[in-house]
Amino acid sequence: MKSDLHRACATIDGDPTTSPNGRDDDIGAATTTRPACATETAMATIPTVSASVELVNVSKTFGSVDALAPTDLTIDAGEILTLLGPSGCGKTTLLRLIAGLVSASTGRITVDGVSPAQARAEKRIGFIPQAPALLPWRSVRANASLLLEINAAHSPPRPNVSVDELLDEVGLSEFADARPHELSGGMQQRVGLVRAFALDAPLLLMDEPFAALDEITRTEMRHLLTRLRAHHGATVVFVTHSISEAAFLSDRVAVLSSRPGRVTSLEAIDLERPRRPEVEDSEPFFEITTRLRHALGGFV
Amino acid sequence: MRLLRSIAAPVTGVVLLLLVWEMVVRVFDVRRFVLLAPSKIVAELARDPGSYWSNTLVTARHMLIALTIALAVALVVGSLMAASRFVEEAIQPIFVVILVTPWVAYTTSIVIWLGFGARPIIFLAAFVTFPILTFGVVAGMRGADPAARELLASVDASKWEVLWHLRLPSALPVIFTTLRITVAIALGATYFAEGSTGGTTGLGAVGRRVALDQTIGAEVLWTSTICSSLLGITALVVLSIAERTLLGWHVSQRA
Repeated sequence: MKSDLHRACATIDGDPTTSPNGRDDDIGAATTTRPACATETAMATIPTVSASVELVNVSKTFGSVDALAPTDLTIDAGEILTLLGPSGCGKTTLLRLIAGLVSASTGRITVDGVSPAQARAEKRIGFIPQAPALLPWRSVRANASLLLEINAAHSPPRPNVSVDELLDEVGLSEFADARPHELSGGMQQRVGLVRAFALDAPLLLMDEPFAALDEITRTEMRHLLTRLRAHHGATVVFVTHSISEAAFLSDRVAVLSSRPGRVTSLEAIDLERPRRPEVEDSEPFFEITTRLRHALGGFV
Repeated sequence: MRLLRSIAAPVTGVVLLLLVWEMVVRVFDVRRFVLLAPSKIVAELARDPGSYWSNTLVTARHMLIALTIALAVALVVGSLMAASRFVEEAIQPIFVVILVTPWVAYTTSIVIWLGFGARPIIFLAAFVTFPILTFGVVAGMRGADPAARELLASVDASKWEVLWHLRLPSALPVIFTTLRITVAIALGATYFAEGSTGGTTGLGAVGRRVALDQTIGAEVLWTSTICSSLLGITALVVLSIAERTLLGWHVSQRA
């Protein structure tokens, strides 16, 4: 499993001797942007093993509606791939297919060589839905631990990072005993991130997690996500309709068009890592967002 | 200020009601069996408090046991119905029949079947309330956040885990609302059944004795009626306290 990570790093970086944190080692960025209450040594730096995902001729129809045309897609271990497209283009369907929450009409999906259903049963998938989906009767800490308690036989015996450390990292340690309704929308979604990262899952699937947030919070959240992911190393599939989000987070962006949903282009994002928030003001970032906008064609 | 109002307002309402009641009885010289003045009820209660207290406790016990059984059955049946549309659609018509059939009509059959004593009383009160509670359980469980359901599915939660961690807590607010409605129904059924089973204890048995032998006096009838009301109010207060304690997280309980 460990070798998968190194292979992934080698594939992407062309350098198998990358640091144990993989190529997303953003600790430098973390020191400038992390909340004051977080400590530099709070997080372990052992990366989670990452998973590869393969889709071969995968399509999905709901009744007479073609949600997703036959699609081939390979996501490398350790990669951050964003599915970018307008509403109704099938990007969420594609994500839910990978999560095994819906089954494909045709084709085959594998997560590290096994079916999504099996990956789900073995808790190899950390899912972050669009709504924070926090349980209002549980405290912040209990919500963040929820997925560890469910199907506990497959929870990591010794997680790399504890829930409390993660809450500290996202600046919520003071709110650990609070109820979700006492938090702002951005804070609630941070709990959602902690809940998924606590699983130490090699594959993280994120369904427009920041879509309901205001622009300022949204920007902060993508910087936070990059930082958390840097410690973690998992493969990420991220759904969004925000070009800036796609450009900042991704190694590659799959641009989708609608009716039926199909991947029209795969865009490599060749920004160096670690990516600091300032990169969003740079010329290369502007060029990438322009390229993505053109790739989206008539949709924006 | 809010606390003061929440105490002062209902007290004012009750005092006004008692004053108007007392006045109407005195001014219009209403017959005692039709309506007895509150002052007379208080005097009757003071004359023999032990007897009214013990009969109220008997009725309270019958009602509590019946509602506990009804809730337990409703949780089991409701969980099954919430998990399967087929089970729900199969059971629904049976519940509708139970709900629309006047329970007064078949109480005699229940007494013949279960004999005298507490059993037919508890059975009737539980039988007429469990379908309502079950509907509450189903509606509450169905209302669980779909995003949370999907989240639990993403880690392959078992049906039992979904029930325990999500569906049951989600259903609690509706269950409490339904319980409030069923308290009145359970109390009515308990009171009537106590009077129909030939027993000698319980407020319903006292009320029945007066109905059969009016020489016992309107005082006894009205005082046992008021004891029933007080019992119902106590049950609702207990439910409110439990709701506030258990549902502090719910929007309905927040200021």
